[in-house]
Amino acid sequence: MARKDLLDIASLHREEIEFLLDQSTSFKKLFTHSVKKIPALEGKSVLMLFYEASTRTHSSFEVAAKRLSAEVTNFDVAHSSITKGESVRETIETLQAMRTDYIVVRHSHPGLPGMIARQTTASVINAGDGAHEHPTQALLDAFTIREKFPDPRGKRVLIIGDILHSRVARSTSTLLQKLGIEVAYLGPGSLVPKYVPESIPRFTDYEAAMAWAPDVVYLLRVQMERQDVQFFPSVREYHRVYGITTARLAEIRDKGLYIMHPGPVNRGVELCDAVMDYERSLITNQVENGISIRMAVLDWLTPGGEFPKQEAYAARQKASSPVIMP
Amino acid sequence: MLLLQNARIASENSPVLLEGDVLIVEGKIQEIGSNLAVPKEARVIDARGRVLMPGMFDAHVHFRAPGFENKETITTGSEAAINGGITGVVMMPNTRPAIDSAAVVATVLENAKHRSRIPVYTSGCVTKNREGKELAEIEGMHRLGVTMLTDDGDTTSDPAVLLRAMQYATEFGMFFASHCEVPELAGPRALNEGVMSYRLGIKGSPSCAEEIIIDRDIRLARAAGAHVHIQHVSSKLGMETIRWWKSRGDVKVTAEVAPHHLLFTDEHIGDYDTNYKMNPPLRTQDDCDALLEGLIEGVFDLIATDHAPHTPFEKAQDFISAPNGITGLDTALVSLYHYFVEPQKFGWDLVVKRYSAEPRRLMGLPVAAIEVGQQAECVLFDTEAETTFTRDFMKSKSQNTPFIDQTLKGRVDMVILGTEILLERE
Repeated sequence: MARKDLLDIASLHREEIEFLLDQSTSFKKLFTHSVKKIPALEGKSVLMLFYEASTRTHSSFEVAAKRLSAEVTNFDVAHSSITKGESVRETIETLQAMRTDYIVVRHSHPGLPGMIARQTTASVINAGDGAHEHPTQALLDAFTIREKFPDPRGKRVLIIGDILHSRVARSTSTLLQKLGIEVAYLGPGSLVPKYVPESIPRFTDYEAAMAWAPDVVYLLRVQMERQDVQFFPSVREYHRVYGITTARLAEIRDKGLYIMHPGPVNRGVELCDAVMDYERSLITNQVENGISIRMAVLDWLTPGGEFPKQEAYAARQKASSPVIMP
Repeated sequence: MLLLQNARIASENSPVLLEGDVLIVEGKIQEIGSNLAVPKEARVIDARGRVLMPGMFDAHVHFRAPGFENKETITTGSEAAINGGITGVVMMPNTRPAIDSAAVVATVLENAKHRSRIPVYTSGCVTKNREGKELAEIEGMHRLGVTMLTDDGDTTSDPAVLLRAMQYATEFGMFFASHCEVPELAGPRALNEGVMSYRLGIKGSPSCAEEIIIDRDIRLARAAGAHVHIQHVSSKLGMETIRWWKSRGDVKVTAEVAPHHLLFTDEHIGDYDTNYKMNPPLRTQDDCDALLEGLIEGVFDLIATDHAPHTPFEKAQDFISAPNGITGLDTALVSLYHYFVEPQKFGWDLVVKRYSAEPRRLMGLPVAAIEVGQQAECVLFDTEAETTFTRDFMKSKSQNTPFIDQTLKGRVDMVILGTEILLERE
């Protein structure tokens, strides 16, 4: 059942997801021990290849790898030959020559982790590729929800915010649906595309979205850095229309809804300060669960696939993309 | 002297292939008939079962010279054309330097004369260096035979500049070819905006980015009394816009469609395959169906490939970093046969009309036809044989095509131009 790479949620089977969540439960038990380290990946090497800034995902992977006794190397993009104009492809060739066992990669270009995976024997984990996927975030979200709802089937999660630019929204909604959880989107018309999957109800009105009766309200970070044009008039207006204001928090508290957020939080934009102290906020649980999920993923993957992968990829491409009759 | 016996002769005017012998003497078609006498010195070719048609003409190719000879040269580009049964092409001017003056045109045409076995024509820029600001040296280019003006690869952004260019150049009998795209809407990523762009997490280009400029440029042409030719239409509404303007009849508008926009959709991009990255992007099946309808109906005057070679290194990057464009010359005719003629979506007459006769008319050139008295400019096509598009088969310097390593039905067996046999496949 083990795979070489974890590139997306879309291709994961439900059994694989359940397995990873169960494994994560086991690993999480370690956290209460005085010695939190096990030798599962002793002698293995993990290369952290982060082309984009990251605090929690990067440190979470690093902690997870170290708790499994792997060696961790941080590829310093700022001081690499990338600054001398080396292409990603050339970097991949260099990395392959180093024969690292795992590559954890984050890049602003969608599909790039898959490209690395096809050209290396290392197990590649997508730690976020542009607006495409962020599979370990989705797994930790599902794990966090399952801790509160052991049988989450039929529960409802309302994802609020910048759906258009969010890899979290894509991965998490796909995964939650695979677990039988219903998902809906809420956000400005400019940030919730009309062509999102039909299985996901799409709201632009907060009241209407709350009438859908969610069990969890999942706030997305407003990613100002990805917005090359203006998608809404002001953060003040955004907070008023789509944010969890003090008044809305009272309603959420009354209804007993859980609040989640992948972080980092823009206080006063997605949510008011008081949310951070709300007893049903799962934001710090998400951070904690990120470590055990990433341990489960690292432990599950099997590095050392055949190399080169290009031929297999070409065959797969041919099979999956036939020239169809018009 | 060449005698092709029992060929099935294709013509733009007849949906039926007429069987007969064709005698070519000193590069001219001297006689067509059945059971022609075999002259003593004639080479006899048994063409039984094979289709004889005029050489195709591609009015939209990128030969990358000058400036990007690592992708394609006039020699490799024209050999790719011959390989695909094409005996004349028009180059686009987005080279480096751009083809925006008489001096560059002269250099290109001089090169073409020595480096190509088929006629290579060039278009010229509307504006200097395709920057959309100052008018290029239009009359100078016209004196050297340029008739088509385009800033292809980009829209001439400022409508006032384009209107002035149209008013000015129409006086010389020149016409305008429009790459239609509002850059602010389209973005840089060459993927249709829709379900697929959402799934892949790539900023999509909505078809309205194209449709707005199609409409804008036709309106400008109408205002200037100019002829505008709309390039590589990819969307249903784009086709319908052109159809509507044509039905009004008060503006001269022609249009082209590329084989890849008839054949592929954004679904093919699937796993970020850069061989499907092009501009305008592949859209939906609904768009493909509409484009085919427009081709059959005559909304599209011609088929053109937008042959856009890039090196393997460039295309081997991730989807965002890879450049737009695919090659088309080696594969166009066979793919049109495989996907449309063989399954009887349309006939050989449409192929000859839209890919041979009309492009030449657009360029003001004599039409190649299999008729007595005409220069021999023909292609012998085996409908039963197959072609496998291996890297070795392709004559283009680049092989960035979705057809790579695929086998399609049909094969270009022979290409004849005047007294020369440019291609003969065993």
